[in-house]
Amino acid sequence: MSSKPGRVNPTVKAAIHQLVIIIFVVIWLIPIYAMVINGLKSNVAVYTTPVLIPPSSPTIEPFQAVWSSLSRPLLNSLILVLPVAFIATFLGSMAAYFFYMLSNSFSRVSSFVSNFLFSLISLATFIPYQATLIPLTKLIADMGLLNTYWGLAFAFFIFYMPTGALLMSIFITAIPPRIIEAARLDRGSDWRIFYKLVFPLSLPGFISTLIFNIIETWNNFFIPLMLTTTPNMRLIPVTVQSFTGGYATLYNETFAAAFIASMVPLGIFIFLGRYFIRGLIALGTGGKGV
Amino acid sequence: MVNVMAKGITKIYKSRRKEVVALDNVNIDIHSGESFGILGPSGAGKTTFMRIIAGLDIPTQGELYFNDELVATSNKLVVPPEDRNIGMVFQTWALYPNMTAYDNIAFPLRSLRMSKDEERKRINEVSEILGIAHVLNHYPRELSGGQQQRVALARALVKNPSILLLDEPFSNLDARIRDSARALVRRIQNELKITTITVSHDPADIFSIAERAGVIVHGKLVQVDKPSAIYSSPVTVEVARLIGDLVELNGRVEESNNKIYAVVDDFTFPINKVAANNVRLGIRLEDLKISDEVSLGDEWVFVGRARVKVSSYSSGLFRVTVVPPSNDNTEIVVMVDRPFDVGREVNLFVKSGKVLVFP
Ligand SMILES: Nc1ncnc2c1ncn2[C@@H]1O[C@H](COP(=O)(O)OP(=O)(O)OP(=O)(O)O)[C@@H](O)[C@H]1O
Ligand SMILES: [Mg+2]
Repeated sequence: MSSKPGRVNPTVKAAIHQLVIIIFVVIWLIPIYAMVINGLKSNVAVYTTPVLIPPSSPTIEPFQAVWSSLSRPLLNSLILVLPVAFIATFLGSMAAYFFYMLSNSFSRVSSFVSNFLFSLISLATFIPYQATLIPLTKLIADMGLLNTYWGLAFAFFIFYMPTGALLMSIFITAIPPRIIEAARLDRGSDWRIFYKLVFPLSLPGFISTLIFNIIETWNNFFIPLMLTTTPNMRLIPVTVQSFTGGYATLYNETFAAAFIASMVPLGIFIFLGRYFIRGLIALGTGGKGV
Repeated sequence: MVNVMAKGITKIYKSRRKEVVALDNVNIDIHSGESFGILGPSGAGKTTFMRIIAGLDIPTQGELYFNDELVATSNKLVVPPEDRNIGMVFQTWALYPNMTAYDNIAFPLRSLRMSKDEERKRINEVSEILGIAHVLNHYPRELSGGQQQRVALARALVKNPSILLLDEPFSNLDARIRDSARALVRRIQNELKITTITVSHDPADIFSIAERAGVIVHGKLVQVDKPSAIYSSPVTVEVARLIGDLVELNGRVEESNNKIYAVVDDFTFPINKVAANNVRLGIRLEDLKISDEVSLGDEWVFVGRARVKVSSYSSGLFRVTVVPPSNDNTEIVVMVDRPFDVGREVNLFVKSGKVLVFP
């Protein structure tokens, strides 16, 4: 085979691809690696060995030390984040479908309302949520929901349901519109079209959005910081933060705490990651991947 | 039993810079229980017309009536698609990809809340007729194009629609299945008297299932008539071409012995009086004949001597291309029942009164 000028040998091309991927993976893995090995260092070793060098005699003491103060926040976060992210994403998908139907309804008023509300929602998701925290805290306080799961759930809903709607509306437009039209001619009710067709056909997108929402909610620091004061109601990011700063920061314990805190999002990503990718692929192929 | 009436329907798609007139003042009255065909070149507006009837799109102007009830008017949907009781086979089939063929066909029935037994009975019946009974538990992606098309047809038929819209419903079927599918649609349409509108590129579909047909060209409904009438007296060359094979020639109008002829090189075709010096002629393949005889009776008129240029064969007939001796580029295709050797001269005849003349 004669290789034409200007064309890279396929082997070389594949090798370059692999190399680029490896570089990205390494960059991504360094922090995780650092968390693990430094969490396994003793109080002395963490100061005397460089960050990226593993300890000569690993110990699980730092993990044991932080576990007692992390277990309750971990439980709080789990109780709160998983259902809230799920419900926010599900309601977000329904909202996305609602907007989809509204903007396809031929009524000028409906399309206008749809576009207006939708722009509002998009705008809301682009505003840094920290900016709205003071009025939000006041609202939650007025409702008497400070230091409760409900207060936290409510606040998370306000921020992550619009995100769900926004992301899901992108996935829903990737469904071939003729399918939804056929279902309308077949007299499917809005609800039946949603749960028989739209939801299953955008499932990869739903899972991507769900993962995104779980990770965002899990890592959210300011909302629980403002809305909770009692130690019993603390969520994981706030607790992890409490290990840093001050005069006597124990870096090994900070690393151990950070690692424990990131296990849940990491685990979810590893288990559901292929759906995440599939969701993105579905977008690229205009929904033909189903 | 629904009568569909379009009054001045115009559809304009506006995109950022240009406007596309997909339908231009379409007026048609499709009778209740009628099987109507729509013929037209690609991009003519056929699908757009179907979508407006289904309520999936709205006219920019004009009104649409079902049984004298207004269902759509300028930029406004009066009756939504789900209340129109329409069975539609989309050009792209639009099967539900996440459901088996059975569930696809059952989807419209579940909306009707019928018993599971009744549902099963109806689905088995229709899939038996369409020859898809053995693939009912397959997903659309596991079906061939023809099978998907038949599942789409079953889904449209199973709910006993009042209007059946078929957008190129047979395009993916092989010849044998196509014939039986046409017969099936015709039979169901006849028995149930469903108003049926079939869009097709293929004149054979129109002849086999349409009682009346309309031709759409560039968004305009240019002719509405029985398919045979459109075939024998098309209003333009384009229509003539759409509904059947045609030999097209440019002729010069001449008069001799009180008779009018169109002269094409060495050939003279008898035509009726026209007010032009040059005309475009169209002749159906079956209206031309070549022979060694000097006369074929009163029905056939001698046109001139011709030379055989190409001789080929297709489905029981020989397809012979002849040219006038003086011009090798004026090709005329003739179907004959025996082969003719290339290079020899023959007599060319045309059936009297069958030369179509277009300005
Ligand atoms: N949603 C749309 N937006 C803009 N233009 C459109 C839209 N739908 C159709 N058109 C245009 O309207 C014209 C008619 O389209 P239509 O699909 O009705 O043609 P058709 O007769 O069904 O063609 P085909 O035989 O290829 O299916 C085309 O020029 C097409 O590009
Ligand atoms: Mg079309």
